[in-house]
Amino acid sequence: MTRVLSPVGGRVVGLAGVPDPVFAQAMVGPGTAVDPAREPGRAIAPVSGKIVKMHPHAYVVVDDEGHGVLVHLGIDTVQLKGEGFELLAAEGDRVTAGQPLVAWDPAAVEAGGRSPICAVVALDAPAEALSDVVEAGSVVQGAELFVWS
Amino acid sequence: MSERNVRIESKVGLHARPAALFVQTAAKAPGDVTVAKPGGQPVNAKSILAVLGLDARHGEEIVITADFDGADALLAELEALLSTPEPENA
Repeated sequence: MTRVLSPVGGRVVGLAGVPDPVFAQAMVGPGTAVDPAREPGRAIAPVSGKIVKMHPHAYVVVDDEGHGVLVHLGIDTVQLKGEGFELLAAEGDRVTAGQPLVAWDPAAVEAGGRSPICAVVALDAPAEALSDVVEAGSVVQGAELFVWS
Repeated sequence: MSERNVRIESKVGLHARPAALFVQTAAKAPGDVTVAKPGGQPVNAKSILAVLGLDARHGEEIVITADFDGADALLAELEALLSTPEPENA
């Protein structure tokens, strides 16, 4: 069982609240999304495990059960080519849940005309594998977003 | 066994959006579908984790392999996905 933590603090909007149909329709996988507070922050690892993919705007951490969680910081942020994002860990690193991985500023992303909403997605998981999925309300960084069994 | 080499035209490479479409298409297949970089270890094309982990970039070539009746049609569909650049604002 994997407890998946919120990489950022803010307001939970659910995947349906992501302004990108691929995420909103759960095509990448089931999960939820958080509209982050508009202040510079450091996005954290949602689970303990190994960073198997580290981009400035997105990362995947796989835990010891093989559960891979994707955190995507903002929408279309791949177009920023890393500008405004500072990596605090490297691909291949073992990290603990809650460890800061990327420093960024959601307000700056928004000022650039993009949504800073963060999708938190369970990769290769059927929707039924997730429980206690938070879909609304405010959330503090590190609070539980869903449980993956 | 059918195999195809395809160049990735998506500007962002085989990442979130193109990867999701790719995996969703591959997942319809009745048999195994794998994807690899040339000379690299093939990974399960039905796994979004595996495909994101492959980290195939724009302009890179990948090899898609499938082995079942109708594999050619599926490979053609996957090739069409990868060789179509997304619209500028997609």
